[in-house]
Amino acid sequence: MPAPDAAAEADSTSLGAAAGRNEGELGAVVRHLRKNRTAMLGLGIIALFLLCALFAPFIASHDPIATDLGNALKGPSVRHWFGTDELGRDLFSRILFGARISLGIGLISVVIGLVVGVPIGALSGYYGGKLDLFVQRLIDIMIAFPGILLAIIVVTILGVGVENVMIATGIASVPVYARLVRGSVLSIKKLGYVSAAKALGIREAKIIFLHVLPNCIGPVIVQSTFQIATSILWAAGLGFLGLGAQPPTPEWGAILSKGRVYMRVAAHLTTYPGLAIFLMVLGFNLLGDGLRDALDPKSRKY
Amino acid sequence: MVGYIVRRLLLTIPVVIGVSILIFAIIRLIPGDPAVAIAGVHASNEYIEQVRKDLYLDRSLPVQYGIFVRNLFRGELGVSTMSRRPVATELRERFPRTIELTLAAMLIASLVGISAGIISATRRYSLFDNLSMLVALFGVAAPVFWLALMLQLLFAVNLGWLPATGRGTWRHLILPALTLGMATAGLIARITRSSMLEVLRQDFITTARAKGLAEKVVVYKHALKNALIPVVTIMGLQFGILLGGAVLTETVFAWPGVGRLLVDSILARDYPVVQGAVMTLAVSFVLINLVVDLAYAFLDPRISYQSQESE
Amino acid sequence: MRKLWLVAAVMLVLMPLASVFAAGTKEEAPAAPRQELVIAIGAQPEALDPIAMASAPAATVGEHLHQSLIYMAPDGTLEPSLAESWQAASDGLSWTLRLRQGVKFHDGTPFNAQAAKANLDRFLDPESKAPYRFLISEVSAVQVVDEYTIRLVLNRPFAPIISNLSHSFIGMLSPASLQSLAKGEATSNIVGTGPFKLVRWDRGEQIVLERNSEYWGRVPTIETLTFKFVPEDAARMVMLETGEAHAVMRVPPADAERLNANPGIDVVYASSVRVIYAGFNTQVKPFDNPKVRQAMNYAVDKEAIINTILAGVGYPSTAPVVPAVFGHTKVGPYEYNPAKARQLLAEAGYPNGFRAVFHHPTGRYLMDSTIAEAIQSMLREVGVQLELQTMEWSAYLSFLRKPPAEAQHQMYMLGWGTVTLDADYGIFSLLHSSQWPPTGWGVSYYKNDRVDRLLDSGRTTPERSAREGLYAEAIELIWEDAPWLYLHDEGQINAVRSNVEGLIHHPLENILAWDAYIE
Repeated sequence: MPAPDAAAEADSTSLGAAAGRNEGELGAVVRHLRKNRTAMLGLGIIALFLLCALFAPFIASHDPIATDLGNALKGPSVRHWFGTDELGRDLFSRILFGARISLGIGLISVVIGLVVGVPIGALSGYYGGKLDLFVQRLIDIMIAFPGILLAIIVVTILGVGVENVMIATGIASVPVYARLVRGSVLSIKKLGYVSAAKALGIREAKIIFLHVLPNCIGPVIVQSTFQIATSILWAAGLGFLGLGAQPPTPEWGAILSKGRVYMRVAAHLTTYPGLAIFLMVLGFNLLGDGLRDALDPKSRKY
Repeated sequence: MVGYIVRRLLLTIPVVIGVSILIFAIIRLIPGDPAVAIAGVHASNEYIEQVRKDLYLDRSLPVQYGIFVRNLFRGELGVSTMSRRPVATELRERFPRTIELTLAAMLIASLVGISAGIISATRRYSLFDNLSMLVALFGVAAPVFWLALMLQLLFAVNLGWLPATGRGTWRHLILPALTLGMATAGLIARITRSSMLEVLRQDFITTARAKGLAEKVVVYKHALKNALIPVVTIMGLQFGILLGGAVLTETVFAWPGVGRLLVDSILARDYPVVQGAVMTLAVSFVLINLVVDLAYAFLDPRISYQSQESE
Repeated sequence: MRKLWLVAAVMLVLMPLASVFAAGTKEEAPAAPRQELVIAIGAQPEALDPIAMASAPAATVGEHLHQSLIYMAPDGTLEPSLAESWQAASDGLSWTLRLRQGVKFHDGTPFNAQAAKANLDRFLDPESKAPYRFLISEVSAVQVVDEYTIRLVLNRPFAPIISNLSHSFIGMLSPASLQSLAKGEATSNIVGTGPFKLVRWDRGEQIVLERNSEYWGRVPTIETLTFKFVPEDAARMVMLETGEAHAVMRVPPADAERLNANPGIDVVYASSVRVIYAGFNTQVKPFDNPKVRQAMNYAVDKEAIINTILAGVGYPSTAPVVPAVFGHTKVGPYEYNPAKARQLLAEAGYPNGFRAVFHHPTGRYLMDSTIAEAIQSMLREVGVQLELQTMEWSAYLSFLRKPPAEAQHQMYMLGWGTVTLDADYGIFSLLHSSQWPPTGWGVSYYKNDRVDRLLDSGRTTPERSAREGLYAEAIELIWEDAPWLYLHDEGQINAVRSNVEGLIHHPLENILAWDAYIE
């Protein structure tokens, strides 16, 4: 589907400027980003969650899987900042450790998407022809196919559990990168660098790795930021359906799902995990917006 | 133009074939004996052997695929291991309900999103603009199942204005459609806004204003048409996302559609139904994409030139 | 611009079109008639055909459609239903039952001895593979004495025969419909003699029944009875609160107080004949070692589970059956003693614990998945790492009921309601070595020769006091051997809208609506 991908469009004009890959360029991007307050807010949120995830064992007030039946379904208090769940486990600690899982899934799925999707898109765009036509069709359909459905299918085959969710969301991310990189590569081809390099006799592999790919980095970074957010949502959805992390793993979607039953007497069990998912996704979205603006030379003029 | 349409239609065929291969592969990829997966864990041994014979499961894969396709054309999608009813019957009952939900969601999302986007663009940086962009962001970032629970709690349980679950009257449709549409509404609003802003900056708009045309005419007659092109594109893409989100929404609101059927049958290891449900969803997506692409062709004459990009 | 409206118009047209296609299956909003009752339950019946029924949800719905020869009242007494009276021969080897006259099936055909024989023969036929055949497997022949009398000939004297005949799964269907029911397949052609008739079964959604105006007993006031299947507890409660449902079963204990405080709702606590336990596959390591099984029993704090997760509803198990059952003896409960558990595990050769998989249903028993998680957590304290796996109910039942060589479960959660109030049903069916699948429900694959002999004698001995002694001894042995992790005797928490009267909350875990009416 010939959709005007905003990132790819911006890319075609930024290539001229970014082709040099010099320090001044990077500096300009960072400066522009820093001035964007909402993007900084997004970055701040992400940093906060990152810290929570990394230092969870130190920050957490309780063991996230230790039950305490006598204290079940208690509301927020001094001892339990976010209250306790149906088995008396401390919700604050569970949410902290849940950050690890969500971030982990988000990052790994993006890595899988990159590692598999970028080469596919690059090679398809570079060589063109029948292969490209076929790959393009495949990608178009995979992209339009609802990511969460794809993830559900993969989980059906592989079975439930956090590792399989990572693989599932990773697979669902592949077409996004493939299409993005393919678009970039096509734009670069148009600019003549590739034919020039070929005429000079440079080996194809070198052309691809040293000249073509580096120019795709901008949009790939932007897309990755958004893709992390999307993967986190997919993972939470799978967890909510009971197809993700299994008890007692404190994955946010699963916590929400269990907490549903107690919505009326212990609303904190649905509010806090939902809020956590929302904030993390928001953070990545805001950062992504900011990165996209920063990497687009048209807006950078201001 | 006609060439584009024909080409587009033809390209759909390999896609559908590819999808069918994927579906075919699902059951064979699951660990274990595919005959047991299709017949069901509680089937008698005779029935399992019957299934093995009927689907040629002991023959080579291409033969199996051939049988699979033949059955597809006959409309035979197998039998549910749980209810022992034909999968095609289950799908025929539940699929229209998901479509109903998705269309309603898309309708709400478009109306709300486009209007909000236009107003925001024309009243840039106003309170309305900031507020609506905030709400749009919320819609995009909030997990749809959380939103569903919150809305259910507020409108059905606490206020009692709307039914909480199930399907029956038009009132049952409101909450699920609203929930499902929120994220898309947010996205549409944001894109409409930025697209409108982009278009309003263009020269021909300045010209129109210079000619003395009323602002309303400028906005609605000239700017909007061009601004909406990327929006319509997104709407087409979003249909897919809506179908995916329908799975979660149907679960929370107990809406008896294909999404819920899919989840229930996965948990029940009812693989024939899983296969059928995925097939239905995939094919409807391909068709929707096709329709949107064709509609897009009518809207934007640049398409016929762009389509040569892939050569 | 015009083209955009075209796209929008297409969408607007498509939506009602989709609704039109779905119209056939769309449920109309309830119109004026008041006596339309809606009951929301958590699990769907796996079947309504007696030879395929296997659980309480099936019984709850089935009781309204078809009837057994004898009815067990809520207080445990056996009352005439389709059989008016019954008499044992002096040698105990046969029972003669006089059947009720003037009873018609929903399709108009008469209920008589031929019909009863057809149903019983079908139930007993090994080809039917009825999971509950063991209830009357001692019957060698069903004889028609005259139009309204049958005689059951037994292999041996079988004490529980009459209480077993009250089981919902031995319901009578019209012989004409039996012809059309394919063997072993779930189907909607259920034609019984009950106070309600089957209108339709929308799989996954609901079963709709309507009043049988030709009913031989008191014709119900309720005209339309709908059972809706809503596995999510929260959704079920919301339906009750908004009035979409008039009654719900299995109220989450955490919601009970809040719902009761609602002036439009009454919460009903009823006793139950069900025990909840976690069974072990005694044929696989490490559960083949009785010390391990006992250790597991000491490691779980049943009181805590009942007090917190179940809000105090229920009692720690004192035996494999509930106290109301004939044959019950108090041999338990296993006290909560993690130290002893660790010691026993060490003695058994597992000083560092072990890993195992624990299968459990979700949404079938009260707080089942939460209890499974609590067990997982408690066992972790003594070094046992459990992986939890859940399944949809009907798939779960089939998963468990496999011959020992094909069994894939190690530890499983199950409940068993002794609906005949006789220890034979509660113990023989589960723990006699002849009842291993595919024959019956002995999914722990437990075998103890002494217990087998005691249970066999229990079935064939007619005197009550002698039977009690036999079961007491059997129960003691079973308690020691611990093929199960004995959890608790369940209590029922149902809730009803205040303007609905006459619902029967049966200890057999059924809600019965034939005397109900909406004010």
